[in-house]
Amino acid sequence: MTLVHRLSPAVTADAGVLGGKAHGLVVMMGLGLPVPPGFVIATSACRAFLRDGRLPGGLEAAICDMRPAERVSVRSGAAVSMPGMMDTFLNVRPGRGVLEAVAAVFASWHSPRATSYRHLHDIPHDLGTAVIVQAMVFGDRDEHSGSGVAFSRDPSTGAPSPYGEVLFGRPGADVVSGRTATRPLAELADREPGVWAALLDGLARVERHYRDVCHVEFTFESGRLWFLQVRPGGLAGRAAVRVAVDLVDEGVIDRATAVRRVSAAQLRAARTPRIVAARVLARGLGASPGVAAGRIAVTADRAARMAPDGPVILVRPHTSPLDMHGLAAAAGIVTTVGGPTSHAAVVARSMGRPAVVGASALTVDPGAGIVRVDGRSLPEGVLITIDGSGGEIVAGPAETVAGDADPHLQRLVGWAAPV
Amino acid sequence: MTDLLVLHTLRCLGFTDLARIADASGLPEPEAESRLIDLAVDGLVTRTAGPFGGWGLTEAGKAADARLVAAELTAAGARDAVVGAFEDFLVLNPELLDLCSAWHLRQVDGVATVNDHTDAAYDGRVLARFADLDRRAEAVCGALGAALPRFGRYRGRLAAALARAEAGELEHLADTTTSYHNVWFQLHEDLLVTLGIPR
Repeated sequence: MTLVHRLSPAVTADAGVLGGKAHGLVVMMGLGLPVPPGFVIATSACRAFLRDGRLPGGLEAAICDMRPAERVSVRSGAAVSMPGMMDTFLNVRPGRGVLEAVAAVFASWHSPRATSYRHLHDIPHDLGTAVIVQAMVFGDRDEHSGSGVAFSRDPSTGAPSPYGEVLFGRPGADVVSGRTATRPLAELADREPGVWAALLDGLARVERHYRDVCHVEFTFESGRLWFLQVRPGGLAGRAAVRVAVDLVDEGVIDRATAVRRVSAAQLRAARTPRIVAARVLARGLGASPGVAAGRIAVTADRAARMAPDGPVILVRPHTSPLDMHGLAAAAGIVTTVGGPTSHAAVVARSMGRPAVVGASALTVDPGAGIVRVDGRSLPEGVLITIDGSGGEIVAGPAETVAGDADPHLQRLVGWAAPV
Repeated sequence: MTDLLVLHTLRCLGFTDLARIADASGLPEPEAESRLIDLAVDGLVTRTAGPFGGWGLTEAGKAADARLVAAELTAAGARDAVVGAFEDFLVLNPELLDLCSAWHLRQVDGVATVNDHTDAAYDGRVLARFADLDRRAEAVCGALGAALPRFGRYRGRLAAALARAEAGELEHLADTTTSYHNVWFQLHEDLLVTLGIPR
């Protein structure tokens, strides 16, 4: 049995052996996309490690034979996606460092957090993870470097235009952490036209291959683009419906496939009311579903004071227990940093309030009582509307549309009806 | 002398009502209120009226609390022990947040759906993971209580929240002001304040 596979289009092993992430890398290489060179240690090696408590015999020699680059990343990648649950090591030097990092990633399969995740998501505990060892590429190399994430279509609406975020001059970890304000993906077009063209070409190719919307992670180093991950699908609700219907119109899939792809849960989600807005002020992650409109308050104290006079949207960098009274008083919550497990997200869901988190384009100035976005200043008291499903924030009141009126949904439902 | 018990309890609760301050500090309500009024006279806490009103610290109160808590930590010679326990706490924290998210939102066919608590098997699975995490949290709370006795109250409050949830009052996991999540978050805040780490 082969323990180590060099990443190359010639690899034929499936995701059960290589893990989902490495399998995606092999697919991208087969499509001619640039992927940093490296190799993958099969899930069977992890199972042996978990059984015997040590790395399997021959693994060290097999890794040496691969002649790892001078500095590598060592990443987990199970057959079933378990995002962020296991360890990742960056800037590892060859030799013992690589072996130790591989063992640490294997061991992190049994970390309590990963174990909890498998319990909650019905993932078998004996699968084990593959480990990907790849040459590092540096998003912070120079002014023509950076990192980002991109969807081949808008993940909020399903509209057929790429959507994502980019950080210039920064490594990929900064994009994922949510601690640094990112820029809209389209800024690549002006600043790095070569990277932008290569990215669009890559997104088109992976879409054609998977016959579905795709999500990629990428880094560009000195003007050269590298793809680090691809994942097909993953859109929810009306966005998933629109993609399925558009792909039929584009001749990529047939109607039966479109109907099969959109689950009953997706259809239910597609029916929840959503904002319809031509102009979105900013966008974050939808963290607690529903639409809320109200006047901006930038501190919890102000929210509590303003709330008796009508609905308030509390806009904060992030929240803590010090903000509880404001969270309780607000009709909706927006944070500029933080993800779906942040304090604001958890509290908003517990109270059934719509919430958008990680709206990084907004800046909150509590001293001045102002929210800034794209050179605009929105003082406290200004009306905004938020959509806790799609993560949109719009100025003023916004029309909402129940899903049943959505033309894409109507067509899909029509195809599903018995002839 | 400033009443650190009530001042610091309110500092970690944030902004809240008398009943919760009394409960979290282990004092009868009239006693807690009397101490709050003394603190208000000193300009350290303030009460806001109105439907969303309650008690909170002033800037002077936050500064006084930070100073007193730092002095207490130094006097007890407990910094290293609290730093160690905080590191262990940070290992558990993301898992706790995962569990709270799983309690409120459930992935159904790839869609994040509000958990409507009609699937007892799913809820039971989440509850079992809370209980598993709690066993590991017990060690962290024990180390903290040994280092600085005032941390001892968290163990009892976390255990009480979990016991009520296990007895069928499921809102005590992540949906009430005395829920497991809320007590946990207060402990997190307490550790940050005690060690002087900005959030």
